[in-house]
Amino acid sequence: MPATVKHTEKGFGPAIESSQVKSHANDPFVIKKVEKARETLKKVGLPDLTKK
Amino acid sequence: MNLERYNYFTNDYRAYEFYSEGPKGSIRKLVIFTKVPDTEPPIFNLAFGDAHPITGKLNDAVISNNEDRDIVLATVANTIATFCDHYGNHYIYAEGSTPSRTRLYQMGIAALWNDISTDFDVYGLKDNEWQAFKPYSLNYEAFLVKRK
Repeated sequence: MPATVKHTEKGFGPAIESSQVKSHANDPFVIKKVEKARETLKKVGLPDLTKK
Repeated sequence: MNLERYNYFTNDYRAYEFYSEGPKGSIRKLVIFTKVPDTEPPIFNLAFGDAHPITGKLNDAVISNNEDRDIVLATVANTIATFCDHYGNHYIYAEGSTPSRTRLYQMGIAALWNDISTDFDVYGLKDNEWQAFKPYSLNYEAFLVKRK
């Protein structure tokens, strides 16, 4: 698992694979956020790219 | 984008974690991508926050103030790029759990805008309409991000 010392790098880089990272897809907070996103996106859709 | 970021970890390329380091110590951060039901083309919700120290579950109600906002945001941007590498350049939706939290996200994006805008298209939601993100202008209600 990650150490507690500050490990930073610059720029894009790959993730480090770790079997200890859990899914969290069923965390109540995540479920609530996804439902809120669904409601909002149902209402507003996607950006009109012709306006960009 | 050439910003300082934390090393970040994943098991399935949908859930990521990394450790914020600062005066408040080491704080475990989580970034979770979840497909929003009933969206076509697919849109993924980005949930971001601290892992609860006991339960390990995600919560964004905490403002950790670990004096590393820019590094944290650059790390989140990296997780978006890595997610897109594995699942495609989908739209990513993000919204804070409160208006003030969403405002914090906006300030963070604005602070790194020169770097973020080279790699991502960003839209802000205002009055039920998506607009091209403009730093330091309106207070947006949510964000939509797509890698270029």
